[in-house]
Amino acid sequence: MSSMALYQSIASGIVSGCVYALVALSVVLIFKASDVVNFAGGEFVMLGAYAGLGALTFLEVPYGLAYVIAALALFFIGATFNKVVLDSVLKRAKHGQRTLVAMVIATLGLSYVIKGGVRLFSFTEEVRRLPSAFSGPPIFIGPVVLQWQDIAIVSISLALMLALYIFFQKTLTGKVLRATSQNPRAAALIGIPVQLMQLYSWGLACAIAGVSGVLIGAKLPISPDFGGPIMLLAFAAAIIGGFTSLPGVVIGGILLGIIQNLVGITISSTAIAVTPFVVIMLVLVFRPQGLLGGRHRIKKV
Amino acid sequence: MKINRLSQLKIFSAFFVAALSGGVACASDPGVTDTEIVIGLHAPLSGPLAAFGQDPLQAAKMWYEDVNRRGGIHGRKIRVIAEDDKCNANEVGALARKFVTVDKVFMINGGSCTASVVGAQEFVNREKVPFVMLNASGDPAVFPATRYVFGAFPGSQGAIGAGIMGFAVQGLKGKRIAYIAHNDEYGASNYGAAKAYADKAGAQIVAYERIALSITDVTAPMLNVRASNPDVIISAAYPAPAVLIAQKAAEYGMKQPLVQAIQGIPAPEVFAKNVGNNDALKNFYYSAPVNDLPDGPKQIKWLEMYKKAYPDRLVPSVFMVYGISSAMVVTTALEKAGKNLTRERFVDALETVKLDSGIMAAPFEFGKGRRDALRAQSIFKFDGVKSTLMPGFYTWDGSTTSPK
Repeated sequence: MSSMALYQSIASGIVSGCVYALVALSVVLIFKASDVVNFAGGEFVMLGAYAGLGALTFLEVPYGLAYVIAALALFFIGATFNKVVLDSVLKRAKHGQRTLVAMVIATLGLSYVIKGGVRLFSFTEEVRRLPSAFSGPPIFIGPVVLQWQDIAIVSISLALMLALYIFFQKTLTGKVLRATSQNPRAAALIGIPVQLMQLYSWGLACAIAGVSGVLIGAKLPISPDFGGPIMLLAFAAAIIGGFTSLPGVVIGGILLGIIQNLVGITISSTAIAVTPFVVIMLVLVFRPQGLLGGRHRIKKV
Repeated sequence: MKINRLSQLKIFSAFFVAALSGGVACASDPGVTDTEIVIGLHAPLSGPLAAFGQDPLQAAKMWYEDVNRRGGIHGRKIRVIAEDDKCNANEVGALARKFVTVDKVFMINGGSCTASVVGAQEFVNREKVPFVMLNASGDPAVFPATRYVFGAFPGSQGAIGAGIMGFAVQGLKGKRIAYIAHNDEYGASNYGAAKAYADKAGAQIVAYERIALSITDVTAPMLNVRASNPDVIISAAYPAPAVLIAQKAAEYGMKQPLVQAIQGIPAPEVFAKNVGNNDALKNFYYSAPVNDLPDGPKQIKWLEMYKKAYPDRLVPSVFMVYGISSAMVVTTALEKAGKNLTRERFVDALETVKLDSGIMAAPFEFGKGRRDALRAQSIFKFDGVKSTLMPGFYTWDGSTTSPK
């Protein structure tokens, strides 16, 4: 293995890792706010990518507006799902009945609904890619080649992570959302509108997924099935970094991206696909809470 | 009334002659009468893979209707019962049972997806019902050959692998070849035939990268390819990874020719848009099983025929002509089987079919132990805007290094 290949693998791994982290950020955001693991996270990203592509192709809007359209559309869809489906699950639950499993399964159902819905449009029959907003000749950093789109993905995912970290740690709304997640009943007792907070967090998480979709869709070809595989990688990133830690998700994603590439050039390309699962198992065995997941806590679901 | 021994002999002889001439024999197999032949036709018409089947099925129906307009086959008209199989193996198996037991069809002409056509294989062989695939390449259903299943009109993965390797070695004079394929049965099949071809031609495969269908970063495989310093890069990847491979090759400044198998580039103009940089396609080629571009002089006739039959589908998929090819082989074999049509005679006739459809890269051919129709690929050069047909076509001799 040449040093050139090593550096290139690490650099590209960081970019891919940030892609996984972008997807994982929205999943972790929902998990932090409502304890629900959102299995439709990948589909929200896919939907965001198609919303952006549709806005650029059919409405011919400027690129910046495509981000806004994708974010607003996904905010609406996420908030509506929370209001119409998840709230109903909560309301119908009998006293003391646990609803988490039902809510998680509802997200799984939603992923199929989104995929099926997108396939109704013949435009999605072919694999598509968004035009790159950050085009130009490649950047050479020593022997390493990167595209402007790669730099944008890394910068935006780091910025998003930082913004969300500050939001949850420093702002009152962020603290309220965390309180809602940790103990909804206690939160309600002190006057926090729990359902409204969860609606906000679903909307916000889905809006982030929408923006991520537009960003990622300019790097990776998209199809209705695009969300599933990338969701698995996002889960792996979240598990490695710690499912409740936003910085951990980004670090987990970057580590995963680098490990995959190193496995690819040192062992074989075939082994890349199994790498995330091996890493997940290792993390679950040796550090179940993830790298930045804080103290180990057991919660019955 | 008493019938003497001579009269009995005359009556018996009359029945015997009548039976031989078809009057009685034609009723011996279901789905055939004096006036019609019933064919069960199926393809995915709904669901995520509907794009593979809608146009081929309509094209096959169009061909059968055209044959009927020209008087049918030996005086019989073809009646088609069309169904949606959703590209699902269970659905295909259930449809085969329905066609045979409820609709009493003579034969089945269907299937657009390899994974689904195997769903009918065991049943049709047990019931001795001829099954001619529509547009599935169907490798597991034609290798090894079984008596009643015929297909691979767009070429099997073996034909594709050998076809693109043939072009890399003969057309581009490559000696050191890098091969990228998926880590599934498709990938193994096309690589097996490509490797066998390279071995015979004295070329060396210097890198063989097996990638997952869901791969999102091709950095590692492309670094491995670059390190192997090939003369030609071959990709048998599907559309999304194929885009990433073309982009990455350009990003790493790899000037070698890149030859992409048909499965990665169903629509060249969309592929170019996805790659996003026509400079990345300066030395780019792709394979296809047809003899010309859809609007080229050899294909325009079929496109016009289809547009006339289905004015609501003015831009059919590239798979459309495969449906005509399959139906054309069915009607050719029905002609050859003669007036006394039975399933066994039809299968025997299929085995002797050698047909230049005027659509595909090379003539179709079956044989005693051969059930894959097409063993050749054409190659097109594509610069991101225009496709140009390269001269000749590249054939597979059936050799493979895979266990099959």
